[in-house]
Amino acid sequence: MYRYDEFDAAFVRERTQQFSDQVRRRLSGDMSEDQFRPLRLMNGLYLQLHAYMLRIAVPYGTVSSRQMRMLAHIARSYDRGYGHFTTRQNIQFNWPKLRDIPQILADLASVEMHAIQTSGNCIRNITTDQFAGAAADEIIDPRPVAEILRQWSSLHPEFSFLPRKFKIAMTGATTDRAAIRFHDIGLQATTNDLGEIGWQVWVGGGLGRTPMIGKLLSGYVAHEHLLAYLESTLRVYNRYGRRDNKYKARIKILVHEEGIESIREQVEAEFAEVKGGVLTLPQAELDRISAYFAAPQYELVNARSVDVAREKILNPFYGRWLERNLNAHRQPGYVSVTISLKPVGGAPGDATDTQMEVVADLAQRYSFDELRVTHEQNLVLPHVKVTDLPAIYEVLVKNGLADGNAGQITDIICCPGLDFCALANARSIPIAQELTRKFESPERQAEIGDLKIKISGCINACGHHHVGHIGILGVEKKGTELYQITVGGDATEKAAIGDILGHGFVAEEVPNAIERLVNTYIARRESPAEPFIAAYRRLGKEPFKEALYGAN
Amino acid sequence: MAQTSPLKFAQSQPDHARAGAIMALNGMFDDMDALGVLRHAVTELLPADLAIVSSFGADSVVLLHIVAQVDRALPVYFLETGKHFVETLAYVETLKETLGLSNVVALRPDPRDIARFDPDGTLWETDPDSCCHIRKTEPLDATVSGFGGWVTGRKRFQTTERGVLPHFELTSDDRIKVNPLAYFSDADITTYKLKYGLPEHPLYNMGYKSIGCAPCTSVVAEGEDPRAGRWRGLNKKECGIHFDFNGAIAKPMAAQELNLYKDGKFIADPFRAWAEGDDPGSVRYTHIPLPVFLANREAVLANPHPVGLLVSPGDNVELVRDDLGRFASVAINFPGFTDGRGYSSARLIAERYGYQGELRAVGDVLADQVPLMARCGITTFLVRHEPTKKALADGKLATVDLFYQPVGKTEVPVGTRPFLRRAVEKV
Ligand code: SF4
Ligand code: SF4
Repeated sequence: MYRYDEFDAAFVRERTQQFSDQVRRRLSGDMSEDQFRPLRLMNGLYLQLHAYMLRIAVPYGTVSSRQMRMLAHIARSYDRGYGHFTTRQNIQFNWPKLRDIPQILADLASVEMHAIQTSGNCIRNITTDQFAGAAADEIIDPRPVAEILRQWSSLHPEFSFLPRKFKIAMTGATTDRAAIRFHDIGLQATTNDLGEIGWQVWVGGGLGRTPMIGKLLSGYVAHEHLLAYLESTLRVYNRYGRRDNKYKARIKILVHEEGIESIREQVEAEFAEVKGGVLTLPQAELDRISAYFAAPQYELVNARSVDVAREKILNPFYGRWLERNLNAHRQPGYVSVTISLKPVGGAPGDATDTQMEVVADLAQRYSFDELRVTHEQNLVLPHVKVTDLPAIYEVLVKNGLADGNAGQITDIICCPGLDFCALANARSIPIAQELTRKFESPERQAEIGDLKIKISGCINACGHHHVGHIGILGVEKKGTELYQITVGGDATEKAAIGDILGHGFVAEEVPNAIERLVNTYIARRESPAEPFIAAYRRLGKEPFKEALYGAN
Repeated sequence: MAQTSPLKFAQSQPDHARAGAIMALNGMFDDMDALGVLRHAVTELLPADLAIVSSFGADSVVLLHIVAQVDRALPVYFLETGKHFVETLAYVETLKETLGLSNVVALRPDPRDIARFDPDGTLWETDPDSCCHIRKTEPLDATVSGFGGWVTGRKRFQTTERGVLPHFELTSDDRIKVNPLAYFSDADITTYKLKYGLPEHPLYNMGYKSIGCAPCTSVVAEGEDPRAGRWRGLNKKECGIHFDFNGAIAKPMAAQELNLYKDGKFIADPFRAWAEGDDPGSVRYTHIPLPVFLANREAVLANPHPVGLLVSPGDNVELVRDDLGRFASVAINFPGFTDGRGYSSARLIAERYGYQGELRAVGDVLADQVPLMARCGITTFLVRHEPTKKALADGKLATVDLFYQPVGKTEVPVGTRPFLRRAVEKV
């Protein structure tokens, strides 16, 4: 894992002091809310429905046990005993007091964490594959480059007041688990003709009220020129992105309105000026940062795999958990374990302080002190010996964290919605809770197989509903909360935006509507091996439309 | 080697621990626990180092009643301007007696000042700022410095500018202000007075809601801001002194015209803004908007006087790349601080086009953006925002002096990332 050097530590300390000073001026009235707002936003502090909300950065989703324990401490001491993991691999606290913020930030700084640029119109936390550095299907571990990008984008003086927020996601694997096609910039590791590894640059993807799939800006940018290339792209965006309308200010609109060719031309012209300059990344620096992410000292494990079929007979719960929540590791004898934060009836992505402590302990004992936060709002123990699985499972069971539902219908992504969010049109957490109850039975979930449901409380789409196999969007019509259902979205390399099939449903009807979709899928699939999304692609909208609204 | 900051500010050394401790106090008391707030201030925070200025106005009795419960001997200063209603003076005596306040001190203007500046007592008519100055500021100034903190009767509801007001604040001169009534509403004050049967200011029921000196106070209409009655008709909101009647810090007397921050100090700006009807061929010391320049390029190039260029968001600086040398000053316009286009324009002008003259920021120039502007090559700042002026003048800008990314032609890469440092050395 990356470790702060003196410079990083001093940087965060200065920034924390700077923001503490700003909070002081706000509390004393020297600064108006209008002036404070963009500053607090740049430090992750939102004003929500009921209180301030503090969003803490988890760079590329990687946390140590010590950091996780600090998050538990914050949940316990300054919040109501829990935190909420977000689709940006961050964590947010919903009830801190403004007066406590300086102390929280100081606590965070003591474990090399901060809330810098988790909000505001700047470059946000860079997200990546939750299995980075562990996955068997990886070309390159993206985290060293992610760390370099984090540094380059931290308090960038030119790009702190962009037209709108700017999100970068990257993946080093062939399977896209980071939704890179739905980010302002998505980076996909690739090899050129000479076999060298570099980056494909995708631009202009995004969700929100105008969902767009990213377009290929460059097929190959070498590591050493990546910073210059991104700076060129950001400069074009900063200068020409729309500022007249908040809803048209993301780079996706610029790309859409001007066309990808024109944007590419402008970026290339700018790149020609800056290429080879001060932003050229020396190999030595890349090596230096990469050393932080060196593979841990794996042990030789005799057992190479788990006999899931056998375990299923002995203990079906454990068996299902093994079946769903493990991901193949590059190191023989090791796996990555997904810890589900999606219990039946729970709020997706929430973890209590005790659960955070437990997970921190597990990471310390069994996963080289490392944890990941996934954009699907779960946690991951990245490097686990297969022989340790029973012990881990036992601890998880005791702490309500052993749901074997990763990737299944109850593994729902859900935004905070009307229960917390000032922008919401409708509640989203209660819908998620209802659905998990409806599909509670593990047998039923196993029968359904891979199915991603994603729920947003408004068109801002923080719950990624556009890319859910089934998406649910809260809208408000004449004072009632309605839920628009979309089908066929996909956040992976087969990127697709879900189709709206008809009118919205009131909350009470949503679970049954979803069940009708599911039943239609099961009835029409070629075999249980054909997942929902594949069946939808093959069958098209009609059967699903009929399931929702009846035959016309 | 010393840390190199792009600005020549005195390094800020705010006492974060102290500020933090005071901020934290704001969470310790219930909104309405005025008594608790004051008791903490008197016994824990500033024992024997706390005083209060009271106007003995319409609402003063509530705070004084709370003071009396905590410490009857707390110094209560009253500005005896010589211009008060007789009713107010009588009210001072009433309250001293009913509340048992043993330490009410009247502060009077220096008779020599009165003789010199206001011999006939009509200064308030022509120059209320100066009147306040000799009758309030001067008498109070000497007293203020003797205490570490002040109790004020300010309330959030009072005027629109005071919408947020904490119980405890640290002022810019490092004193503590205690506002026990911060969360009290108009109705709370009335209820409190009724509950304890406190004597009303004799003028209150006659329609005077915010009572100051007699000549400067008028009746407030129903629904009007209570303080609207003060200095009615004059464009004056607060006394031009450190403390107004309610013990609030007020704005400085007259806005200084030294608005241009350059080379570490504020100077008067020799330039002025472009105005409708200006002639690009003959203006002097004026920032000509970029589109105007492009439309009148020949005329401007032939203009013999020093002129500047105004670059606004959306202006294409590429178009003037070869003409920049003509301008004595280039002003980057930040019409709203959230519009970040100026940062890119500044970098292009300073770094890519190598412009050597004065590069300044104009418009919404605020303390927290100044360091970013400086890193993008801006050296001079036209500042109108008072707290920003103060922060710059005092060298109290909250900055982060460590940079992760190389920016700017002058940025010395000490303190930047190692790879960036190496990259710069190559150049
Ligand atoms: S999608 Fe809407 S309701 Fe949900 S968190 Fe985002 S802004 Fe709030
Ligand atoms: S309130 Fe009026 S009379 Fe009293 S000191 Fe101020 S200007 Fe002079």
